[in-house]
Amino acid sequence: MSTTVEHAGGIADHIHPEPQGFIRRYVFSLDHKIIGIQYLITGFVFLVLAGLLAEVIRTQLLHANGGFVSNDTYNEVYTMHGSAMVWLVIIPLITGGFGNIIMPLQIGARDVAFPWLNMLSFWIFPVAGLMLFSSFLIGAPVAGWTEYPPMSLQAGPGTSMWAAAIFLVGVSSTLTGINFVVTMFQMRAPGMTFTRMPLFCWAQLATAPLLMIATTALAAALAALFMERQFGVPFFDPTKGGSPLMWQHMFWFYSHPAVYIMILPAFGMISEIIPTFSRKPIFGYKMIAFSSMAIALAGMMVWAHHMFTSGLAPYLQLPFMILTFTIAIPTGVKIFSWVATLWGGKIHYTTSMLFALGFLALFTLGGITGVFLAAVPFDLHVHGTYFVVAHFHYVLVGGSLMGVFAGMYYYFPKMTGRLMSEKLGKWHFWLFFIGFNGTFLPQHWLGMLGMPRRVPVYDPQFQFWNDVSTFGSYVMTFSILLFFINVLVSIRNGKKSGPNPWGARTLEWQIPSPPHYYNFKNIPTVYGLPYDFSQPLPYKGLEEELTDSPVHVGAH
Amino acid sequence: MDIANIERIIAIVGGIIVAIVSAIALKNDWKTPGLDNQVFKVMLALLFVGAVIALLAGAHVLGNFPSPKGA
Amino acid sequence: MAVATLPHGATAGHADHGEVDQLYVETRALRLQGFLLFLISDCVLFSSFIFAYLYMRNSGQSWPPPGINHLDVAFAALNSVVLFGSGATMHYALENWKHNNFGRYAFFMIATIVLGILFLSGQAYEYTNLYFKEHVSWAGSGIFGASFFTLTGMHGFHVTVGVIYLTVLFLQSVHGVYTKDKYFGLTAGTLYWHFVDVIWVALFTIFYLI
Repeated sequence: MSTTVEHAGGIADHIHPEPQGFIRRYVFSLDHKIIGIQYLITGFVFLVLAGLLAEVIRTQLLHANGGFVSNDTYNEVYTMHGSAMVWLVIIPLITGGFGNIIMPLQIGARDVAFPWLNMLSFWIFPVAGLMLFSSFLIGAPVAGWTEYPPMSLQAGPGTSMWAAAIFLVGVSSTLTGINFVVTMFQMRAPGMTFTRMPLFCWAQLATAPLLMIATTALAAALAALFMERQFGVPFFDPTKGGSPLMWQHMFWFYSHPAVYIMILPAFGMISEIIPTFSRKPIFGYKMIAFSSMAIALAGMMVWAHHMFTSGLAPYLQLPFMILTFTIAIPTGVKIFSWVATLWGGKIHYTTSMLFALGFLALFTLGGITGVFLAAVPFDLHVHGTYFVVAHFHYVLVGGSLMGVFAGMYYYFPKMTGRLMSEKLGKWHFWLFFIGFNGTFLPQHWLGMLGMPRRVPVYDPQFQFWNDVSTFGSYVMTFSILLFFINVLVSIRNGKKSGPNPWGARTLEWQIPSPPHYYNFKNIPTVYGLPYDFSQPLPYKGLEEELTDSPVHVGAH
Repeated sequence: MDIANIERIIAIVGGIIVAIVSAIALKNDWKTPGLDNQVFKVMLALLFVGAVIALLAGAHVLGNFPSPKGA
Repeated sequence: MAVATLPHGATAGHADHGEVDQLYVETRALRLQGFLLFLISDCVLFSSFIFAYLYMRNSGQSWPPPGINHLDVAFAALNSVVLFGSGATMHYALENWKHNNFGRYAFFMIATIVLGILFLSGQAYEYTNLYFKEHVSWAGSGIFGASFFTLTGMHGFHVTVGVIYLTVLFLQSVHGVYTKDKYFGLTAGTLYWHFVDVIWVALFTIFYLI
C-alpha cells in the first residue's frame, strides 16, 4: 500500500464496494455526502413552507386590524413558523447538511464514524417534520415556539404532536452530535492535529457537544410537557403543585445553546470563505478556533437571560447579565479576526463572498442588539416586543441563513461539479440584503415604541413601519425564489467547475467535484495549516486524486 | 423482630460486602490503561460511594425518619 | 499507537488476522467513544428531571408536601444494595471473561441478571405499596409523585432494557460471538450496567435520604 504506516490496514484504508441501485445510492444512502444533500433538500423544502407561514404573518400585519387570517389561525401560524424555522430549517441545514458534506472531507476521512447512525438520524428528521406540520390538521400549537405553560397546557391536541415531533428532531440532532464528535476525535487524517483542523471543523466540534447535551435537556422538558398534557402529571401546572417557571428554565437551558448550534457552523463557513476570497491567511486562527469553544461553553451558562421578566430573583439576574455580556467577547474576537483577514487582502467579490460580507454586517448588528437585550434594565423595557423579534431575526436570518446561502454558493460546485450562476446570485444577494433590512430594521423602532410581538392586530400608529416591513419581506421572498431557480438551473446547466473553482486550500478542494463515494484514493498526510496562501499546499499523498488511476476497492 | 429490621440488617451486611468488593475491584484495576478502564474506575468509585450510602441508610445514619418505627 | 490499548495484544497467536485486528482496534475505539457519549447524553436526560425535582423542592415551603409520608428507607436501602451488588458481579463477569474463565463468567453474568430482576421486583413491590397504601400516584401527588415516578420509572426502564441487553449478550457469548480478544459488546454492556447503577446512587440520595 502506498499510504502511511500508521494507518496500514485500519478503517482509513478500508474502502467498501460502491453501493448499487438507486435506493441504496440515493435514498437509504450511507454516504455522508448524499446524506448531507438529503438534509439540504429537506431543509430547503421546510424553508419554503416556513417561509410561506412568515408571509402569512406579514400579510396579516399589513393592516392595523388584520383580517387576512383569523386570530386563532394567526397564533398557529407564528408558532409553526418559529418552530419549523428553528428545528426543521436552520439546525438541520447547518449541522446535518453542511456538517455532513464538508466536515469528513475537510479532516480527510472516508465517511463519518457511524454511517448507519447518520442515515438513521437523517430519516428521523423528515418524519418529525411531517409530524410537526400535520399538527395543523388537529389544531396546531398556539403558544409560540417557546410553548410556555400554562397556555401550552390548555391548547388543543396539536401541542402534544408538537412536543413529540420536536422530541424526534432532538433525537436526530443528538445522534448527529455523537457521530460528529467521534468522527472528529478519531478519524482525522495523519498529521491533522486539532490545531491544523480547518475552522469549519472547529465550529462543528464546538457545536456537536451542544447538540448532544443541550438537546437531551430539551427532550426531558418536552417529555414532561407531553406527560403533563396526556396523563395529567403535574410538572408545570401551578394549581396541582407544578411550576410554569420550571418549563422556562428547562426550555431555555436547551434553547439558548440552540442559538449557538444555529450560528457556530455559520461562523465556521464564513471563516472558510473570507480567507479564500481575500487570498490571505486567516487572521488569528487559534483565536477563532478557541473562541468557538468559549462561546459554546459560555452559551450553556446564560439561559436565564431570557427570563428577566419571568420573576427571576434579582440576585440571579446580575450574574446572568454579566455572563451574557462576556459572550460578546469571543464573538467580537471572531468579527475582528474576519475584518483583519479582509484588511489588505485581494478581495474577490463572488456571490459567496458577498453573502459572507453581508453576514459580517448584519450579524454584527444583531449581536449588538443582543448585548442591549442582555442588560436587565433595557430588557425589562423591550421584552416581548418587536425589538426582540428584530434582534433574533438579525442573528438567525442575517447570520445563520446568510451563512447557509454563502455556504451554498461556495460548496455547490463541490456537491454537484457545477457552478451556480453568479448573475442570478448577485440579484439574489442584493434583493435579499435590501429586503431583509427593509423587513427587520423597522421592527427595532416598532419594538422601541412598544409594539408587542405575537399580536394579530395593532395600534394604527404602527401601520407605516409594518407596511415597510411587509413589503421588505416580499422582496426577500422573491430573492429566495431566485435562489431556488438558480439551484435548479445550475444543477443541469451550470458551468463545469472543475475540482477547485475558488482556489481554496482545504482538503475537500483537492479532490474531484463531486467527490467519489470513497472521498480520497489515498488518505493524505497533513503538514500544516490550510490557510497559508502563497505557501505550497501542506498535503502529501494527493497526487493520484485527479488522475484516472484505479482504486483498490474492498482491499485494505 | 419485624420485617423492617430484617431488611435493614440485610442492607447493612450487603452494603458492607458490596463496598468491600468494589473497593477491591477498584484497587485491582487501578493501573489498567485505556478509556474504558478509566470509566470503569470512576464507575466503581461511585458504586463504592453508593454502597456506603445504602449501608449508612440501612444503619439509620442517613435519611429522614419522622417516627422511629418498631422501636 | 492504538494497538497498545488492546489488553492482550491482538496479533499474538492471530498472525494471519493481523490486518483485521487492526481494523477491530480502530472500530472498537470509535464504538467505545460513541457509546460513552450516548451515556453522557442519557445522563443529561436524568439530570434535567433531577434538576426539576430539586428546583421545585427548594422553592416550596415545606417538604415533604402535606399528605405524603417519608419513603421507606430500609427497604430502599436493601433494594439499592441488590442493584449495587449486581454492578459488582457484572464487573467480575467481565474480569473473568478477560481472563478466560468461562465458568465463572457465566456464574457472575447470571448472578447479575438475577439481581437485576430482583431489583425490578423490589421496585414493583415499592410502587404497589406506595400506590395502594400511601396513595401516592404519578399524576395525583404534585411534583413529588411526578418526579418520583418519572425518574424511578425511567431508571426502571433502563434496568429492564439492561436485563434484556445482558441476556442477549450472555446468549451471544454462549454462541461464541465474542472471543478473548474481541469482546466490545461485553464492555459496552458492563458500561451500561454501571451507568444504571450510578444513576441509582443519585436517585436513592435525592428521594430517600435528603
